Amino acid sequence: MLRRQWLIARTIFVEALRRREIYAIVLITAGMLLLASLLRFFDLQGLHKFYHEVSLKVMTTATVLTVIVLAARQLPREFERRTIYTLLAKPIARWEFLLGKYVGVVLAGLFCLGLFMGVFCLGRLFTQAPLDWRLFGQFLFMQGLAIGCLAALSFLLSMLMGLDAAIVTAMLIYLLGQVMTNAMTVVYEFTGAAGRAVLITLNYLVPQPALFDLSAKVVHEWPPVPAWVLGLATLYCLMFVIPYLGLSYALFRRRAL
Amino acid sequence: MGNHAAIEVNQLHIGYGRGARRHLAVAGLTFQVEPGETVGFIGPNGAGKSSTIKTLMGFQYPTEGTVRLFGEQAGSIAARRRIGYLPEVSLYYPFMKAREVLELYGGLQGLDRATLKRRIPELLERVGLAGKGETLLKHFSKGMQQRVGIAQAIIADPDLLIFDELSSGLDPVGRYDLREVLLELKRRNRTIFFSSHELYEVESLCDRVIMIHGGRKVADAAVPELMEQLKAGNGGRGQSLEEFFMGLIRPAEAA
Repeated sequence: MLRRQWLIARTIFVEALRRREIYAIVLITAGMLLLASLLRFFDLQGLHKFYHEVSLKVMTTATVLTVIVLAARQLPREFERRTIYTLLAKPIARWEFLLGKYVGVVLAGLFCLGLFMGVFCLGRLFTQAPLDWRLFGQFLFMQGLAIGCLAALSFLLSMLMGLDAAIVTAMLIYLLGQVMTNAMTVVYEFTGAAGRAVLITLNYLVPQPALFDLSAKVVHEWPPVPAWVLGLATLYCLMFVIPYLGLSYALFRRRAL
Repeated sequence: MGNHAAIEVNQLHIGYGRGARRHLAVAGLTFQVEPGETVGFIGPNGAGKSSTIKTLMGFQYPTEGTVRLFGEQAGSIAARRRIGYLPEVSLYYPFMKAREVLELYGGLQGLDRATLKRRIPELLERVGLAGKGETLLKHFSKGMQQRVGIAQAIIADPDLLIFDELSSGLDPVGRYDLREVLLELKRRNRTIFFSSHELYEVESLCDRVIMIHGGRKVADAAVPELMEQLKAGNGGRGQSLEEFFMGLIRPAEAA
């Protein structure tokens, strides 16, 4: 049974591997990061923090954008090429097809993140900045959770609207999620009952990617987070991924093709 | 299981839109295709051929009526296990090699790796793509992609083949190769159901023809029988299926 999902997932991964776009993004990012790392020749104090901050921000943003675009275009592309017909003519259930697509997007996102990590490590050869590898591993794990969450969200949006609208909406939700954590902590105390209700509703509907972001800890060399935090973050991720994928399936299950 | 018709369509209605915009693409279509038969499904553009075929595949749902394949509900996994399907136009994954695409489709059909390793080169040769297994599909022409499509449809040696617009996008050599493939499948008693605008193709391949117009069946008979009807109604001057087709469609369009 899992073989069918893997076969679908593999097509996305192979395509991501062979397309030039991801490598172009990585090369541009590498150029930017190498430029930032070269600043050490000016003997600036705290350069490594600057390098870490810039590179982690660029890495996460580029990965998120890639995942959103990749996830949102999966189904529209299948319709455009008409491969949806040949695939679903085979004995594969629609939920298996969707799950395979989701796994493929997440794998491609992790591949993209891996490439950025390679660039980051290459840049560190120039800056020789100190880095807690355990914390960096936790940072990558949390980024993996963010990828999973955003891929599921983009999938759902691609079921509800056109490709361009799905990409823009997913990006807007991502940006909203970035500021929501701060809004929840700062605004909540000063707002009325209605405002609080809105914030609480948004809290349950929109994932907050800022909660998966450990870059500040990496930059300021803070100690790694305890294991239970990672466990809670995983549960938080599943709290969104499962309903998003479930809803996507509910919409796709009986859709006329 | 063995006694079921390969295709059983009963009082099929397929509608689009709602209210005043409601349009019936297929209205009360009933037919059967027995195992081992080769049946051509013809009609002018907008007659309801593609809607019917999509319903056979489970891509669309009947508004009314039933569709069963080998006794199983159309679109069910059990039905799809026994079908090979080729849509009118399909562009396959441009960043995958022909071999990989066939591994994907064969794998989805449940074939193991050893079988795929043996069958894929044979299939590529059969559809005129010998030696092209390691070429990315983005380098294939539309006709070559259609040949890949034929290969994916027959990869698991299905009991029933459903082709929407047979030979669409193929050059004369491709058409000839496809006809050879179909004749060989026919010799092996496979059921073949296809729609086509190429009436010569239908005439030369089919045991029986189902003709629809405006979502309704207007003829359902063996090719020689249709020829007899044509000759009888035409003072013995009937020549081809094309004349029969035009004879049925033109008066209906004029009305």
